[in-house]
Amino acid sequence: MSLYKLYASLKKEFLLLINDRIGLMLLFVMPLLLVGIITVIQDGAYKVVNENKIPMVVVNDDHGAQGEQLVHLLRESGLFEIDEPVGVTQASVREELLAGGKMLALYIPTGFTAGLQANADEVSQILLQDLGLDSDSLHRGDTALPTLQFFHDPVLQENYAQSVLGMLYTFMGEIENTLMVSKMYSAMDIAGKESRLKEKMKSTRVQIEPIVAMNGNSTVVPNATQHNVPAWTIFAMFFMVVSLGSNLVKERNNGSFMRLRTMPTSFALVMISKIVVYVGVAILQVLVTFGMGMYLLPMIDLPALALPDNIIAAGVVVLMSSLAAVSYALLIGSWAQTQEQANGFGAVSIIILGAIGGILVPIFVMPSYMQMAAKFSPLHWCLEGFYVLFLKGGSWQDLQSVVLYLGGFIVACQLGSFLKLKIDKII
Amino acid sequence: MINHLGIELADICKLYPKSDTFSLKDLSLSIPQGIVYGLLGPNGAGKTTLISILCGIIPATTGSIRYFDQGQPISEIERRQVIGFVPQDFAFYEELTAKQNLDYFGAMYNIPAAYLGPRRDELLEVLGLSTVAHKAVSTFSGGMKRRLNLAIGIIHRPQYLFLDEPTVGVDVQSKEAIVRYLKTLKQGGATIIYTSHHLAEAEEICDRIALIDHGRLVVEGTTGGLLENHEAPNLQALFLQLTGAAFRDQ
Repeated sequence: MSLYKLYASLKKEFLLLINDRIGLMLLFVMPLLLVGIITVIQDGAYKVVNENKIPMVVVNDDHGAQGEQLVHLLRESGLFEIDEPVGVTQASVREELLAGGKMLALYIPTGFTAGLQANADEVSQILLQDLGLDSDSLHRGDTALPTLQFFHDPVLQENYAQSVLGMLYTFMGEIENTLMVSKMYSAMDIAGKESRLKEKMKSTRVQIEPIVAMNGNSTVVPNATQHNVPAWTIFAMFFMVVSLGSNLVKERNNGSFMRLRTMPTSFALVMISKIVVYVGVAILQVLVTFGMGMYLLPMIDLPALALPDNIIAAGVVVLMSSLAAVSYALLIGSWAQTQEQANGFGAVSIIILGAIGGILVPIFVMPSYMQMAAKFSPLHWCLEGFYVLFLKGGSWQDLQSVVLYLGGFIVACQLGSFLKLKIDKII
Repeated sequence: MINHLGIELADICKLYPKSDTFSLKDLSLSIPQGIVYGLLGPNGAGKTTLISILCGIIPATTGSIRYFDQGQPISEIERRQVIGFVPQDFAFYEELTAKQNLDYFGAMYNIPAAYLGPRRDELLEVLGLSTVAHKAVSTFSGGMKRRLNLAIGIIHRPQYLFLDEPTVGVDVQSKEAIVRYLKTLKQGGATIIYTSHHLAEAEEICDRIALIDHGRLVVEGTTGGLLENHEAPNLQALFLQLTGAAFRDQ
């Protein structure tokens, strides 16, 4: 195989590529749009939960100290924008929530403070009796604790509603504990001296330090950019099946390959040229989308993409992913009978493999059988390779299974293409 | 002038997979060098199959083919360098320009870049494509595409040129240009193996003819000799006399 022929063949592939306007749009504009749009959306969702205040309607029919304390704690948390509308009753809270565009509502019933105090009285009396300090005045009534009503918009994700509910239980625990301590001190005729204990109870709470599990000294912070830029870049790489797959079908069907068979040239030259040009395209896609992640996204107030420390390993993952995408496109192009088949099946199969592989939805939220199915998607392994480096700060050893699987996939696709072209007597 | 043996076919049979009928059966031919050789026959006679076997696109089921140069047999690798193939379909890249197509296929024939440029320009000029050399082939008329199809097949000045219906579906002007150039090639010493349904055209340019039907050789000889022996006024009359008037594509 002479370099002259290789150059001519590469030039031909390049010219075919740049003449395919729709293919170029799919290869370069689509990933930029996907990365930009999905990152903005996910970052927005992240901010809604973590940074923005969620509007909450509070209807307080209690008008007692504990009701006020609960509203105070909600305000102090900084997570909610509290709205206490006038004239809203228990019956109309639901309508107020739905009509007012609020996401959450809390109804504090009449007698909330009285109910809590009665319960605290009962608890303190039980304690005193058990300590042998007071037995005469023990009242063993069944104090009915008041019930708060928590409404949430059905649009709000269930897990977020549950976390708000958990927060309310925490606030209520704090209120009830404080109330009980006051009641006990009062029952023991030392009212007014409980402030030290209350302070101690607050200050000795166990702190929980959130730590993102990453390897080594990685300083990469997981965020919407770190997740989405690699994921949608992989998706776009595999979408080259529409351009390369149909390109191969066209050459098979228009007689160009047949003509080449009569010439003093090797068919391997044609395939190598396609692989080289399209691997180049895939690497360019990575540079373009990563460049967008590093320089463009910060300009629209999104986190910048941080490259992993191990750049060589990242290069290997990019190369393996590119080869996997090109090999898959060649496989589809070899087996499809028409360009419509290559485009239709190729595009749909990439969306399915992307969904299975965790591009659209994280794998950990999938049922176990889908998590198993994910291991059959090449996009999953490409994504895993990027996540090992971009999110977990992984090492070469952590990439072993990624490299092995992708290597096997590339070989299988190339063999599948070779087999079909051999059956069709094209090579 | 003595014409050396160019191509020798011995007992060629072709049976396609999943077919129970031979497309070619016991076909033997000796094609001299430097002539225009017509492979004629009705639809489905086996002409395209024979050309495909001769060009090495598909293998024969049984039988042998030998190529010669000045009486000496040549190897498979040499054969690929000395044959040119112009298929019935447009076998090129419609997205590329005529110039880019010729440059690519010329390089595949190992034509050095220094020689390829002038040769490409010469062909574009002779075949009336120089004014559209830089336009995408997808914008070409049928006649222009047919001429480009021919140009690609002859860019390396082949000793053996195989043409499968080179003038089908083109206007009179394009047909004239193609036939004129084929005559020029023959004068240059090329051996041209040609199939066509244009029998008047074949009668005008073919030195020898092989008439094939149902995959078998019906008759073979010089054009004049065959007409004389069968007392036929022209090739069309001979064709109908030997192959019958029944439709073949039903």
